[in-house]
Amino acid sequence: MRVRVIIGVAVMVGAMFASSSPVQAVTVSVVELLADGESFSGQEVTVVGELVGDYGFRSDGRVWTQLNSDSYAIRPIVEGGPLRGSNIGLGIRMPADVVQDLDPPGRYRLVGPVVSVTGVWRYHDAQRQGESFLDVTSVVVQAPGRDLAEHPNWGVYAGALAFAAIAGVATVGYIRERDTK
Amino acid sequence: MLIRPAADDLRTIGSALGRILLVVAAASLIPTAWAVAGREWNPLGSFLLMGSVFVLLGVTLLRVSLAPRSTISTDQRHLDWSHGMVVVALTWLIVPLVGSIPFVLSGHYASILDAYFDAMSGLTTTGLALVQDLDHLASSLNFWRHLLHFLGGQGIIIAALLLFGGRGMVTLYRGEGREDQLLPSVRSTARAIWAIAAIHLVVGVVALGGVAWFVLGFSWQRSLFHGLMIFFAAFDTGGFAPQSTSLGYYHSAIFESVTAVLMVAGALSFAFHFRLWSGVNRAWMPATARFKARITRRFSGTADVEEFSFDDWRPGDRRTDGTLSLFRNLETRSILATFIATMVFTMVGLAALGIYTSVAGLSRQGFFQVLSAHTGTGFATVPSSELVQWTGLAFGGMAIAMALGGMASSTAGGVKALRVGLTVRAIANEVKGDLLPEGALVGTGYYQFGRRRLTPEVARSAMVVSLLFVALFLVGTGVAIGYGVPLGEALFESVSAGASVGLSVGVTSPTMPVLLKLTYIVQMYLGRLEFVAVFALIGFAYSMVRGR
Repeated sequence: MRVRVIIGVAVMVGAMFASSSPVQAVTVSVVELLADGESFSGQEVTVVGELVGDYGFRSDGRVWTQLNSDSYAIRPIVEGGPLRGSNIGLGIRMPADVVQDLDPPGRYRLVGPVVSVTGVWRYHDAQRQGESFLDVTSVVVQAPGRDLAEHPNWGVYAGALAFAAIAGVATVGYIRERDTK
Repeated sequence: MLIRPAADDLRTIGSALGRILLVVAAASLIPTAWAVAGREWNPLGSFLLMGSVFVLLGVTLLRVSLAPRSTISTDQRHLDWSHGMVVVALTWLIVPLVGSIPFVLSGHYASILDAYFDAMSGLTTTGLALVQDLDHLASSLNFWRHLLHFLGGQGIIIAALLLFGGRGMVTLYRGEGREDQLLPSVRSTARAIWAIAAIHLVVGVVALGGVAWFVLGFSWQRSLFHGLMIFFAAFDTGGFAPQSTSLGYYHSAIFESVTAVLMVAGALSFAFHFRLWSGVNRAWMPATARFKARITRRFSGTADVEEFSFDDWRPGDRRTDGTLSLFRNLETRSILATFIATMVFTMVGLAALGIYTSVAGLSRQGFFQVLSAHTGTGFATVPSSELVQWTGLAFGGMAIAMALGGMASSTAGGVKALRVGLTVRAIANEVKGDLLPEGALVGTGYYQFGRRRLTPEVARSAMVVSLLFVALFLVGTGVAIGYGVPLGEALFESVSAGASVGLSVGVTSPTMPVLLKLTYIVQMYLGRLEFVAVFALIGFAYSMVRGR
């Protein structure tokens, strides 16, 4: 488990410093893009993160999804990962053919593929009525998506059973008492 | 002299509260079934636990209300005004407490307080959230978050009324901040409210799901999921979203448009919906109402008929066109005026800041955010890190829009349009009275589903609640400032919590101080119940301790 975490962190950090894009794109984090989006407007940037949510296949041949740059892809909560605050994500648009080879996006019990995406940062894009998003031209998979095993919490079931039994007895008692009055 | 409540008072309250908790227990079966269908076993366990606790609490309260020494039988017992208010106030404290059990057990919350914060936010249809890693949350838990919006927005009490009805239940109805009585009995009004909600549910989910499937290109299962979640949050002016980037996730003007229609529908009063649908000004409406009253009297005794009033249907209404007459209402005019004013403020402010370089961008982003603020929904298409840059006039427009809120008896929070209209009208009358010669008569009438008189009592009531809201906003702002939050951000977040909006400039986060979390919880609670029920609960508790 620890080895996998170390490898994951190394992959993400490595991708941050050494972009695999043929063009010298600036490597930034999602936090930087959101905090100071205007200064990166129109620039080619590289961002690393997990794809989450849905792949939305639009009629124009593009796919929209969300890229999260937070710790949950490496250490999911289901596997005992720590809480590190809210997700930090942004919308990305990619050509549909790129998505064919990608694993499903991250959701419950599913870690999405961790990718290094390079594209143009569209800040308050006039053609999309002020939306901000990353217009992706290349995608490099850093780590494939994976299913997460969730171990049943038997303690919760035992508690539920105990409360249900007490509630059942109380209900029967109430009905009897009510009917005798 | 302060009178200590009798044991029968407590039994009356316990009996009503117990029934309501059983209604919520029944509602918790829906996410339970969802978890089974989705094979989400750990959330399933937590829903079973939550449902059992609701049943146990409900049945225990009902059993206690059957105590042998009770001088009044259950059938004879009915709620008076203070009982009803206490029941409502307690319901809105207990339901989020028990309802937060699945959140606590999910591992997505740092503490029980955080889970309670989200449950209260969901039930009060606020939409501020402390959930962590929302994008990997189980779908059944996401559904429960949104169902809390639906329960809170449509009214747990309304659901209980529908099932149990009974004498004195009208006080419960009013305790939730509702005043409109659409039909002769409270029970039939509750049925009408749920019927309106059910029709919106079907139409809304089909519309949103259809857009998600056909336009956004999601799978049909996910389209249905997103459609349902966004419907709950939009129509109940809640603001939770299934993804962490809120409505910005969808990147679609069409999806935003459908959501905007539902947000507006949620901010309209149920009386407005009812009259819009039924065409109140047609001659048959009063006749129908009379017929229903006669039927009710015939088949259910006189219990609920005494609450029936024809005040809302004046003869003059029949002469006007059906839909247009709704726009004569002071409330409708007030909300239109404040919406246009805050929209202009925000647009001019954004233009001055130069945040958006295109008119289309300015219009779409500005319009959606102001609409979201004014309806009390709290959806955002821009991240909080960007919203915090909306300073000056744009900030003023947004903050005022949030504070004013939607229509009375809607799912929206805030001061409410009718109170704003009444306050402005009362002030205008005062000014007119000062300017006109002594002895001159100043008109005190206004139109709200019929001609009404603006009496000093009505004006005072509107102003007092408005002032209480201002005080609520200032207290929250003060606490945040005490923790070093800049004034503008502190005010924005406080108004958002107190007016049940849910937009955030980033102050609300799992790492914020405990006292600030508690302050926002109290603000959400007080704002949703519009103070009266909470004051009644405090008074009741005080009289139990100090009364004789």
